[in-house]
Amino acid sequence: MALPDGGQALREDSWLRLLSLWLPPLATLLFLAIFAQGAPRDLPLAVVNLDPGGASRALIRALDASPGLAVHREYRSLAGARVALRRGEVLATLVIPEDFAAHLRQGRSPRLAAFENTQYLLAGKFIGSALVDAVGDYGARAGAALRLAHGDPAPRVALAVKAVRPQVVSLFNPAMSYARFLVTAIAPAMWQVLLVVATVLAVFWRLRRAPLPAGNGARLKAMTSTLAPLGLVFWLQGLLMLALFAVFLEWQPAGGWGWLLLGLALTVLAVQAMAVLIVALMPEPLHALSACAAYLAPAFAFMGITFPRADMNTLAWWWGALMPSTHYMELQVAVADHAAPFATLWPPLVALLLFLAPLPLSVRALPGGGAS
Amino acid sequence: MSRLARAWGQEWRYLYRDSAVMMVLLGGVLFYAFLYPLPYRHNVPGEQPVVVVNRDHSALARELTRRVEATPEVRVVARLDDEDQAREWIAEGRAHGLLVIPAHFQRDLMLGRPTTLSYAGDASYFLIYSRVVEGLLTAGTTLSLETQARRALMQGREMTRIPGELQPVRLVREGAFNPLEGYIDYVVPAVFVLILHQTLLIAAGCLTARDRWRRGQGEAAVPLRLALPLRLLNFVAIYLLFAMLYFGVFFQYYQVPRHADPIALLALATLFLTATGLCALALGYAVNRLEGPTLVVLVSSLPIVFCAGFVWPSQSLPTALRWLADLVPATPGIQAFLKLNQMGAAPHELAPELTLMLAQCLGYGLLLLLLARHRRPPQPLWVPPHRD
Repeated sequence: MALPDGGQALREDSWLRLLSLWLPPLATLLFLAIFAQGAPRDLPLAVVNLDPGGASRALIRALDASPGLAVHREYRSLAGARVALRRGEVLATLVIPEDFAAHLRQGRSPRLAAFENTQYLLAGKFIGSALVDAVGDYGARAGAALRLAHGDPAPRVALAVKAVRPQVVSLFNPAMSYARFLVTAIAPAMWQVLLVVATVLAVFWRLRRAPLPAGNGARLKAMTSTLAPLGLVFWLQGLLMLALFAVFLEWQPAGGWGWLLLGLALTVLAVQAMAVLIVALMPEPLHALSACAAYLAPAFAFMGITFPRADMNTLAWWWGALMPSTHYMELQVAVADHAAPFATLWPPLVALLLFLAPLPLSVRALPGGGAS
Repeated sequence: MSRLARAWGQEWRYLYRDSAVMMVLLGGVLFYAFLYPLPYRHNVPGEQPVVVVNRDHSALARELTRRVEATPEVRVVARLDDEDQAREWIAEGRAHGLLVIPAHFQRDLMLGRPTTLSYAGDASYFLIYSRVVEGLLTAGTTLSLETQARRALMQGREMTRIPGELQPVRLVREGAFNPLEGYIDYVVPAVFVLILHQTLLIAAGCLTARDRWRRGQGEAAVPLRLALPLRLLNFVAIYLLFAMLYFGVFFQYYQVPRHADPIALLALATLFLTATGLCALALGYAVNRLEGPTLVVLVSSLPIVFCAGFVWPSQSLPTALRWLADLVPATPGIQAFLKLNQMGAAPHELAPELTLMLAQCLGYGLLLLLLARHRRPPQPLWVPPHRD
């Protein structure tokens, strides 16, 4: 067996080609398209206006002008807005109270009540912070007008309005783009799913083609011959994925690319080792694929990018640690965002190497193969 | 009648003798109900570690640090003098946030000079970032408002005017549903619908693909016009039980808010499962190998999650993707279940989702008829030798 037979597998099996050549870049582009807006714009808001007049009109105009918000409809009572909220037509309702204008004029700090749809947690948070910004701007202007009306001199008003300026910095993601934050984690999770499935298919392709040799060394060689070309393809796909991040998300690793290349390579090996283990344990294609689904389909939830790993319970933490993607993401964040020192980088790399430990045993336990 | 009974018996036998299908139905459906909520069992992220860079060393700066420490969102793990050092803490993952109190903070605030409090959060992690910023902002804003109010009083400004001058309008925010802003309450109701959807696609799809293979081998079989409706009926019946288990027992166990009338919920589940079941049978006919349905489901799961509208607002999706997502029963399914059960909508308020699901039933039904007539049997990937 001079030439690796993984190339032949790619030529013969159209599903394998689809999974390893076409789907990885298409999936990354799909997620880039889903989150193309970066931060959601023009989220629909219902306004219940119990005090129609100049002041509330100015407020509604200010809300509508905010890039994150679009006033979907104005209501005169709460009931209609409530229906719109629970039908999902709007993501929040803002109630302008009776006597809003009068209380504003008298400096009695009228209270605007916002009800946000936190069932859609992310969207609810978005519209919430857009409301805080828009109402804050409106309030600053109203406050300045109020002080001027009270006869304060203009320079003093200008100082008082911004007495304490809060400056919020989103580290490592300056534009606070959700595309950048989500896609750089979802795409590796998807790449991992495609990799494990393609590897399982390739192992079955090899088993179907001819019986595996009996000796351990020969078996390992046969498996390498099948899986190495596929691994190389997926490593290049990983690079392409990072390149797409760089092109579309202005993602530039703050640390060295070398660590990411090494991390991708070790992740490929780790996932392939796990795929061989799965086939060794479940030599029936449907069972093996179901096991892949159970094992790696939820990888995104366990990698800690959304819900932090430090806040998971022990069982969830360990389950997450059993997935190569968790360690790869730890490395990717440490290298690309934090430009972390070596002391932070080596633990995930070693963890990825540990996935190779069961490989000799699982290669030995693979079924003999051959045509049925 | 007895022909129908025999046919039905045959369909059941195919179902419970198929080890791959039983693995999905018994193992998968129960295991996933445990696995998918697992990362979020604490529901809300705990206190996140932050560092404070204090350049002021005044009483007010110390008070601010104490306030930050007292918020439920963050805890202070270090007080440093130098911002670069603080960034090292963040790079090493030892802290996720940073508060910089500028020099002369107290003096400037008392003199009414503008001063800047800087808050920074590690935006590599969205939940951590929003929690850190929320905690720091709350502490900073309340303290500076209090200080400004005290100053205004000392200056002898009219007491009744002070609230309006410091805060001309107040915004009080409340979650309309999921008031705790819990992750379990957010993820579980939507993802459980998706689990039912995906496992049904795998189970009914694989059974159909295998049935086609058997027919291709020339085995005697129940005529398709009986077999397909009976198979759909079987799966809808099994999955209605799963739906009761998920939406009844497990939602209660995970303490997910539930508002729907059980009968309305059951009716919605029946429509959703019929649409999904027809899609699954059509999928079983569309693939050219036995493992096809599992492969399709595995690859499509993540895209479906992010197109279904509960993570990323569907208003913000590109139009073409919104159309594509509407082909999948999970999209209207997730929305309809969330609105009915979690957001308390009345059944008649779900007209768009229900119409879409009916259209999907029709569409996938027609596709199934078409494919059942024309497709050739699929090939197995590999049949292990021990199992003939």
